[in-house]
Order: sequence, then structure tokens, then C-alpha cells
Amino acid sequence: MSWDKKLINQANKIIKQYPQKRSALGPLLHLAQSKDGYISDDSIEVISELIGITEVQVKSVSTFYSMYKQEPTGKYLISVCKSISCEISNSSDVIKKVQEITGLNNNETDEEGIFTFEKVECIGACGGAPAIQINYETVEGMTPESTESLFNWLKENQPKVIVADILQEKFGGTRSFEWGIKDNSGTIASVPGFQNFNTVGESK
Amino acid sequence: MNEMVKINVNGIEIQADNNKLLIEACEDSGIHIPRFCWHKRLDPVGMCRMCLVEVDTPRGKALVPSCTTKVTPNLVVDTESEVVKKAQEGVLEFLLINHPLDCPICDKAGECPLQDQTVSYGPGESRFVEEKRHFEKPISISEIILLDRERCILCARCTRFSDEISGDPLIEFVQRGNKTEVNTFPNEPFRSYFSGNTVQICPVGALTSTSYRFKARPWDLKATTSTCNGCTVGCTVELNASQNKMLRILGVDNDSVNQGWLCDKGRYNFEFLNNQSRLKESLEKVNEKFEIISNKDLINKLKNKILNNENKVKFLLGTNLTNEEYAAFNEFSALISKSKSDFYLSDDYLFNGYFEKNISLATFNNLDTADTIVIWSEDIKENLPILYLRVRQAVKNGTKLIILGHNNSTLKDIASDFYSSDIIDENFELKVQPENLKNLKDAVIGKNVTAIIGKSSPYQNKKSLDLLVSFLNENSNLSLLNSFSKGNSFGAFQNLDSVKGLPDLCKDFEEDLPEVLFIVGADPIGSSVLTNKITSILEKINCIVSLDLFIHQTNELANYVVPMNSTVSEKEGTFTNIEFRSSKINKITPSPGKALSENEFLSNLLSSLGKSTDFLSVHELNTKVAENNFNQVNKITFDELDKPSNFDGIISGKEVNINCTFFIEDKSLYYVGRKLYGDSVTQRNSQSISILGSKKYIQANLSTIKTLDLEAGKCYIEQNGLKLSSELIINENIPDGLIYFPINRRNFVKYNFAEKINISNISNEDILSVQ
Repeated sequence: MSWDKKLINQANKIIKQYPQKRSALGPLLHLAQSKDGYISDDSIEVISELIGITEVQVKSVSTFYSMYKQEPTGKYLISVCKSISCEISNSSDVIKKVQEITGLNNNETDEEGIFTFEKVECIGACGGAPAIQINYETVEGMTPESTESLFNWLKENQPKVIVADILQEKFGGTRSFEWGIKDNSGTIASVPGFQNFNTVGESK
Repeated sequence: MNEMVKINVNGIEIQADNNKLLIEACEDSGIHIPRFCWHKRLDPVGMCRMCLVEVDTPRGKALVPSCTTKVTPNLVVDTESEVVKKAQEGVLEFLLINHPLDCPICDKAGECPLQDQTVSYGPGESRFVEEKRHFEKPISISEIILLDRERCILCARCTRFSDEISGDPLIEFVQRGNKTEVNTFPNEPFRSYFSGNTVQICPVGALTSTSYRFKARPWDLKATTSTCNGCTVGCTVELNASQNKMLRILGVDNDSVNQGWLCDKGRYNFEFLNNQSRLKESLEKVNEKFEIISNKDLINKLKNKILNNENKVKFLLGTNLTNEEYAAFNEFSALISKSKSDFYLSDDYLFNGYFEKNISLATFNNLDTADTIVIWSEDIKENLPILYLRVRQAVKNGTKLIILGHNNSTLKDIASDFYSSDIIDENFELKVQPENLKNLKDAVIGKNVTAIIGKSSPYQNKKSLDLLVSFLNENSNLSLLNSFSKGNSFGAFQNLDSVKGLPDLCKDFEEDLPEVLFIVGADPIGSSVLTNKITSILEKINCIVSLDLFIHQTNELANYVVPMNSTVSEKEGTFTNIEFRSSKINKITPSPGKALSENEFLSNLLSSLGKSTDFLSVHELNTKVAENNFNQVNKITFDELDKPSNFDGIISGKEVNINCTFFIEDKSLYYVGRKLYGDSVTQRNSQSISILGSKKYIQANLSTIKTLDLEAGKCYIEQNGLKLSSELIINENIPDGLIYFPINRRNFVKYNFAEKINISNISNEDILSVQ
């Protein structure tokens, strides 16, 4: 098995929470992603063995959901919203800017493995459109100019932990609403931040 | 509960089963609703939207998919309204957005639901001008199945079949949206014993088989319904031939037997019929070499042999003859010899079975109504694949499953109890009395039980089976299937006066060697664990006459070899399956070369002997078979069996004549069994599946492998100078300390499993030097 003991233990803990093993598939895929940054075929084999379904069934689920990445992503996953609210607030300019800076098309990763660019559907920040996510940490009220400075900052500092509130403070514009919970922990990889899977940054 | 209710379809009132889906209820009343994804034997998904119909709802008329809508009383349905037509046109226009219009080069064209329904319900033209989806074409998803993904309309029939019915979901949808495709996991091919069914139920030409691809157009095919004689299940099949060549076998939905499905061996193990190496002329061995001899000369020579040795003529029969041919041999033997003759059947798993009057005989449908199914037999997935599907189906519908023995581990996941090495020792003897098995007791006492009982291994002593059967018979309402798995074994039991096994043959022939031995469609040297003994006996016999399709290890020892017709498609007759259900075997292709059917050969021989023959034609023989048969109400004559009311076959009673007295006495040190695919002479000569049975391997669990100081991978198997290279594979379902040998691999039967066999890993240097 290509998973170490610690990861297997963690997986077994997750599996135990469900009456049927196969129900743990979703969280296990996140666990796999926390390991590699994407769902590798090796991980699929491990998961299939752990929960007793075939590899291709795991593959089927993992390729259906777009947040399970099928290929390694860069250090920073840039998700720009292209849904209606953002679109009418000029997200296409933001997208154009991102593409200009990174030179990437949709779902591409640069050669250095720093940026992955994707266009996504609604990320739930319509009030603060246009919105953009760095490693799933949301910044609202973006303009092409703030996008440029955001990228300059990312390139220069290459921060390990990305925290939404910090990004918002530095580069964001209008906010949809005051977020109830201060999100200070952020994420440490280009995967969603889950406390369970050790993908959140340390809280400040 | 099922209840007939009134519904109104297209203004006509019909009676419909309130438990059925609308699409099925309409079908029953002759109203066809177009569909792609819905299949009678699969769960509905409502995937394709082709079956949209308009129903009246409290909020007015609404379009609903009829494959996910159940019949309700007074439902008003319109299947042909303008709205429905528009919906159907829309669905088809969408489906044809990406479906290539390559019908002229597509195998499905001519029998393609998409093509047919586009003609009947389609819009006539498309507004789509953009580029269609493209995929690499075709990709092989297994050794025998090919997939053209751009043709796929994502109906999920194949993926549902492999998940729901065969239980080996190795194909699934991957990706999503307009990128969705059916595929396997990399390096995990769709190696299912039932994969051919997906080709048959695919409503477009996306799935094709290597066997039939580009071989014929459907409108050129001749078709006839027949019965598969591959195992004792006796699936109803449709034979397709063109220009006198067998090209395809399809499953036919026989509700009582195979319900439309076939195993891949039944489906593809016919290609040997067209094989160049098939026997076409009679052969005589002259100076250790076979030379062609005319049938007339052959009959003359045999005549003299038989006349001189009237009581010393014996018969070793294979299991692939028709009832009529068994009856013919029976008659033949009675006519040429003064004493009653025994027939030896080439099947290592033969024993007297459980046919006593106080044990009632099961049908497959009993599996569905039973409270509990108890299995102790050889692996049914390997040897009776469609019975395996029926068991799975029954368990899915709530029947309890209890398995004894180390076989049938593929059913372990759905079995409530799997009694393996804790309860049963390495020679398949019970370590515990059945009444002491609490779960078994609870599941059996006072319940309806259907048991599938047979030898788990050629070496198994039937004592423990007796214990189990008498326990079940005393404590439950038992119906039993004797799981003899080879071909038309049950026809042999019914139509021969006395059937014996190979251990009997060894014992009997050692005492009294026959002068003339007829070996008919049997290859015991290539398939029996008694091969060494049998070889030495056969070598001593003066005159062996082999009637067969090919030259193989056994008839290489013969003095005369006579080409025969194959039961697959070259003769007419009847077949009796494991439930004693008789059905018809039909002919669709002519005899190759000078091949005869068994009864033609026998009647020629008899008339040369000056005996009167009253079984010249297969029809006369059939009348005889039907007369002798137990079921006198529904006689199994061709005429009766051809009636549509007898489509499911006729259950013909259970009088059997098995008289085995000797058994293999050695205790096996190894766990042996037969796999579906093997090195049989027919499979070897069927191109598309020959490779599937040729790989040599043995299996053991990891701890056994470690205990023996071995590693999984290439190994040598060695005993008494026979050294074969093989693969050692880890299989955790094999009990501790046992090594599993699939005995239908080339030369594996030559090992003496009662003695130690040396297994050693092949080192890397050896592998290199071999290469």
C-alpha cells in the first residue's frame, strides 16, 4: 500500500463513522487529496481496498466531482468565478488578467508548479462579486488591478498558509457581508481546508 | 401486493399490474414505448428520457418517464400525444448530437435500437453543426470486449448489469457532463465471466466483442433458438449463422432459466466449429500415424472387431451429446452385446448424487421462493455461471445464503454464513455435525430450503454431504439441485441404462480389459485427475474408436478417429438440464467435411452388423426418448418442445441411472477445482477465448506462501519429473495451508495431488535466461 500507517489509521477512523464502509468514499477522497494534492491512481487502489468497492467505482466518483483533482495542481489553485453575478460585475476582466499574468488556459498548471488556473461556477460570494479563490480561500470585490497586485504578492512572498481574511484585507474590495466567523487558520495546500485532514493552517 | 387495476392508455382502458412500471405494463398490453436505458431485468434509472409519456396529474398533464413511474389505479396516460412526440424528437436530437452517423461501418446497424427508434420517433434532421465528440477507437476493455466510446449514449445498461446482476462492477462512468464516458480503471480490465451480456444489451454499437466485430451484418444472419450445452444450466440461446458459418450466440430471455443472460464461455465457445484443425475425415492409425480412411472402410473394419468381441465392447462417453444420442448408444450397446453394458462418463465429480424418492427436486425458481439457500458444491460461478447469477438475484431479493466448503468464495460477501476451514477440513469433511452449526440450524429448521449439493473436489468423500443432506431433509422443507456441472450429464443419467464414473472405469478395466472401446467426445487424459491411470489402461486396449471434433491427448491413443458433428449448432436433439428441464437443441450449420452425427454413425455400423435399426433418424430417437421419459403428461417430443407454451422447456422427471461404486480413495494434499475457462480442446480452438484458459497459475493465501518460504510470482511446479512453470498468486480466500490448483490447465492433472508437489520460485536470473 502506498499509504503510510498514519494515513491508514486516519482512514479507518473515518470509515468507522459510517454504517456502511462505502459511504466513507467522499471523505477518503479528500484524505487522498490531502496527501498528494490530487487523487492518484495509487490512492484509488488503496481506497477501493479499504471500503470494498472496485477501483473504477472510486474513479467514477472522484472524476465526477470537480473539486477532486485528477492531476497534480500547482502550489496555488486560482479559482475565478464565472457565474452570473460575477460575470455582470466584470469577472471576465479578472479572468483575462489572471490569464495574462499566468499565461494559463482553463485547468492548466504552469511549468514551475506554482499556479493552477480554473474557471469555476458560483462560489457563494455573489454579494461581493467578482470573487476569486486562492486555495479555496475567497477574496471578494476583485478588479483587474487588485488581481495583479495579488499575484505579485503571491509570487514575491510565496506564503505557505493562505488565509482568506488576510487576502481580503490586502486585495479585496466590497464584501458580501461581514463573515460571522473570523477565518484565520487558512489552508496549507491547494486543497480545501479541513481540520480532520490536517489541511488547515495553524491558527494565529 | 400485486393487483390488477384499470389504467387508460391512449384512450383505451387496459388492465395493469399495480406493482409494475408503466413502461412494462404498457408493453404487456402491446403498447410499445421507445426506450434505451430501461431493461426488463435491470433496475430502472430514468437515464435516457426516451420513454417520456404524458400522464394526467392534479395539476394538469405532465411528462413523466414511464420507466420510473409505477402504475396507479385510473392513471390516464398518453404515449403518442404531440407533446410526447416533441419530447421524443428532442431526446433523439440530443442523443444524436454526439453519436456518430457511422451506421454503414457499425456492427449494430440493422439491429440497433438507436437506429430503429431514430427512424420511428426521430426528428428527421439535426440542427447541430458543431464538432462531435471524438475518442480513440476502439479501446479494448478486456481481452474479448471492445468499446467505441463516441457511440455511447450513456444509458448505463452495461454498468448497471455489471453492478446489479454479475456483481463485478469493473466498468463505470468516469468524468462528467459532456466528457462522461464508460471506462475501466487503468490496468484493471473488464474481466467478467458475464461481459458478453453487456455487448448484447448495449442499445448502440459502443460495446462489441472481438469475436463478432466486423464479421457479418444482422440482416445476413440466419437465426434459430437452441439450448447451450456448455454446462448443466442449459441456457436458452439464439444461434446466428451466415453462409453456413456460426458467427454469434445470443442469450434469450427464458424466465425459468437464464433470464436473458449467458456466461462468456457459453457465448463465445463456439468458434472452434470453424477451426481449420477440426476433424473432417475418418482416420486410421497406421504405423503410429493417422491416415485418412473412408467411412465405408472404417465401418467394415469396425464391424469385424465388434463381431469378434461382442461382449468386450465398452463405451466412455463425454457429456456433450444429446439425449437422443445417449439413447442411441444405449440401444446400440444392447443390440451388439448380450449382457448389459455400463457407460463411463468422463467427469471427475460424478457420484451417485441425491435422487432418492424422499428428496424433492428443485428448479431454479425455487431459489427465488426459498427462505434459505444452502450451497456445498464445486464453485458455481466457475462451473454453473448462470446458476450463480440466479443465486445472486435470489439473495438480492432477500433469500438467506449459507455456503459450506472453501469453494464459492465469490459469494462470500452476500452470504450470511460462509463455513470454510473452521468447519470443514482440507478434504471437505465436516469437522462438526451440521446440527451443531447454530446459524445453519436457525436458517434451516422449518424453513423452505433450496440446496445446491455436489462434490467440491474429485477427492471429496460424500459422507459429509450425506450428513448435510439428511440433516436438511429431516429438518426443513428441502428442494435440492444435484450440482453435476458438465454439459448434458442429466440427459446421460436419464437415457443410459447405467452410468459410471472414471474410478469405476479404472477398476473395471483393470479386472477385465475391453477389446473395443468407444470414446465419444471425451478427453479424460486431458481433463481427469486419474489421467495417469487412464493413460496406462488405454495404452493396453487393442482397439479404441474415438468419435470427436478434434485430435486431443486421449484420442491420440486411438486406432480410429471419426469426425463428429458438434452439439452446439450441427445437430438436432433434446437437452436435459440440472432441474431435469428438457429443451430443444437445434441445427443451423451443416456438418463439416464427412462428419456424422453419432446416431448416423451408429446406425451405419449396426446395419453393417446385420442388426435391425429402429433409430435411423433423430426424430425416431426423440420419440423413443420421450416414451422412456418419466413425464408422460408432457412428453419431450420435438413437437411439444417447439410449442410456444413450452418455451421454458418441460420438466421431465428424475429417474436416473448412476451406478458409481468406486471413488478416488486418495486424500488430496492440495485444493483442486475447475475454472470456467480452461485448456479444453474446444476452448483451445476458439480463437477469441483461447487465451483466457491458457495461463497457468496456482493460488494460496499470503501466510501460506510465507510459511512455505515462497514469494508470489513466477514459480516452478515439479513432481516425478514433470516440471511446469507457473505463476503463484495470492488469494486470501484460500484457507490456510492449502494451495489451490485449477486442474483444467494444460498438464496440471498429470500431477498426483495425493503426493507432495515441489513448488519453487523462479529466480530473476532464471527468468532472464528463459527470455
